[in-house]
Amino acid sequence: MSNWNSQHLDDGLALRYLDGELPARKGRQVRRHLEACWQCRAEIEALETTVADCMRYRKQVLASRLPEPPQAWVDLSRGFDRIDSELSAEPFWKRFAHLPPSLVWSSGAAAMAVLVCAVWYQLREAPSVQAAVLLKKAVAAAENRPITPRRYRIRTHSAAVTRVAGVSKSAEAPLPAAMAAMFADAHYNGVDPLSARSYAGWRDQLSEKRDEVTTGENAYEIRTSTESGDVASATLRLRANDLLPLEGKLEFRNQDFIEFTDLTEAPDLHDGSPVATLGESPVRPAEPSRPAAIAPGSSASISDELQVLSALHGIGADLGDPVEVRLSSGHVEVSGVGVSPERQRQIRSAVESLPHVEVAFSDPGAAPASVQATTPEPAPAFSGTTSGQTAKLQTRLEQQLGGRAELERFSSRVLDWNEAAMARAYALRALAQRFPAGEDSNLSTNDRTVLRQMTREHIDALEVHIRGMESVLAPVLTALGASTAAQPQPAGSSAWQLSAEQVFRSSRRVEVLLSQLLGVASGEKPSADLPTNLLAALRELRANLDECKGLVGQ
Amino acid sequence: MDVHLAQILRHDRGLPALQAQVTQLFEECREDVYRYLLTLGLDPARAQESAQEVFLRLYASLKKGEQIQNPRGWIFRVAHNYGLKVRARQSNESAFDADLESWLASPARTPEHELLERERMLHFHRAVEGLSEQQKRCLFLRMEGLRYPEIGAALGISTSAVGEFLRRAMARLRKVRDE
Repeated sequence: MSNWNSQHLDDGLALRYLDGELPARKGRQVRRHLEACWQCRAEIEALETTVADCMRYRKQVLASRLPEPPQAWVDLSRGFDRIDSELSAEPFWKRFAHLPPSLVWSSGAAAMAVLVCAVWYQLREAPSVQAAVLLKKAVAAAENRPITPRRYRIRTHSAAVTRVAGVSKSAEAPLPAAMAAMFADAHYNGVDPLSARSYAGWRDQLSEKRDEVTTGENAYEIRTSTESGDVASATLRLRANDLLPLEGKLEFRNQDFIEFTDLTEAPDLHDGSPVATLGESPVRPAEPSRPAAIAPGSSASISDELQVLSALHGIGADLGDPVEVRLSSGHVEVSGVGVSPERQRQIRSAVESLPHVEVAFSDPGAAPASVQATTPEPAPAFSGTTSGQTAKLQTRLEQQLGGRAELERFSSRVLDWNEAAMARAYALRALAQRFPAGEDSNLSTNDRTVLRQMTREHIDALEVHIRGMESVLAPVLTALGASTAAQPQPAGSSAWQLSAEQVFRSSRRVEVLLSQLLGVASGEKPSADLPTNLLAALRELRANLDECKGLVGQ
Repeated sequence: MDVHLAQILRHDRGLPALQAQVTQLFEECREDVYRYLLTLGLDPARAQESAQEVFLRLYASLKKGEQIQNPRGWIFRVAHNYGLKVRARQSNESAFDADLESWLASPARTPEHELLERERMLHFHRAVEGLSEQQKRCLFLRMEGLRYPEIGAALGISTSAVGEFLRRAMARLRKVRDE
């Protein structure tokens, strides 16, 4: 409403104006409009008359005709004395709950304790706890919880992405179009799916629904089924002690689904573990395309496959797009599920001129079970709750950077680098697994050059991201007390494929430690040496990367 | 007065003055809280008991260090939630009904000059009774002087939803006069 002189007030706006509920600027606009517009002034007067009717009703009917209190009002002083003595008799630890709200962490913890007791009490009293009540409490708990970045994964049939909640949304890349479309179809908030508020928002708009609330080990699960809309049922699991959402799922009528899982709460890689003992990533190992001995000619060869991979690499489709390449039945099959139409067009355009290529994209709903996304799914790497050590580090980090906003910006930037670095580490590892050590000797000289070129590009890009992280992190880590470790030694691999695996493992270690430092996740025992460990891990990654680069060049 | 009281409570917490201030607030607001609880469907005895409990909770919260910017808003929010719990416990009983309709509809012993007003109030009362529960809650809390965010906090709905409920309620009540 830019021109108030030509548009009349609707009654909602008029009431909010009368009630003083409009922002100051809008209020001034309305006032100016009223000065000019008799029609709206008459409306306002009619509204004021209704307000007056309400107050007359309150006075003449409610105040005078509702029954008087049956007894004389008591003197509250006895109640005051009881409260005073109860409070003074409280154990010492309980008094922490009464600290002023300025001590956010303390009062937040107290609010949590009260909340947990309230939920437990309610569950004990009434087995069929209403989902709405639980959600409302979870929303309130979220509002009382200090804002810390949390990583979570969104997964569908065809793709998986990792997101960070609790940071500026502008810092995040948009969701893949197919995923965003699914959220839109579900009428579910895709910006912050793993939250009680989003779940409640979805649930509230249903015209018909059935809820179930179950109590599992250390968690409550709300399940809402509905006959209306595309989503048949949804679930949200809340951690029992503080109602933190752990995971959720939307199940569509067409058998499709969206899952969102908190990575912070997943099983941990121990902080102090040596790199060599770190767990394997659950990413599907890329199968070597066989047989390598397929001769060039009428059917597709490993050379054709390499060309396709190279073409996809050229448009960045090997860095997270849900695209699969396999050599099968004399063809190089390029398939993808849930790829946006624009991206499909780019991929087709990149590979269609190559020999023996078949391209097939499908919708998520019709995804064949055998087709898997190549989008890296980072290993669930973290568990436990924020420890005192991590909280202390966070506070120091915040002080050093100059406040929470700065910390958020810093976290966002470093996590972006880390995401990009991990995408490269996954891609590098996939190439190493597809063309294992020894077998790449079957390739022609030209193909070997192409393969090494791709590998080198991943390494170079990874190096840029690592350098970026190092340049920002090293001074901060040093200021946090990180000691300069001895010069790290590379793993001593004999082939670039083996070295690529070491690069991947050290990247994962950096990711784990970085997440702990930024409070995105915490290990069970975050070491007091976290800054030192992270700095050492970054340097170890650099050493492995240098080694890999050297081996690729041979 | 509310703001003043809040300031005093913030700076003078822990002193006996706190009891005096809560007592003063109790004396000023208890009838309003009691009536609000009646409109929630509590019977008079429970409504009175609950109203007293609300002020004791206010005292306990302030003693514990809670910062309360607007005591009246806080009181009605707690009264609403506490009242609903009490109502739930008496769920096997029917909600209290003051039967205002009968009184408004019986013109006996009503001076002639008040008859017209009585009739208008009867229509108005029927319109209020015809509002949805949420509209009615928003309206009653607004009549008690609560702002939209306070009403939203009490009812667990957004401020914009409060505005919308009030808009619909007022549109409906306005028709009574226009008819």
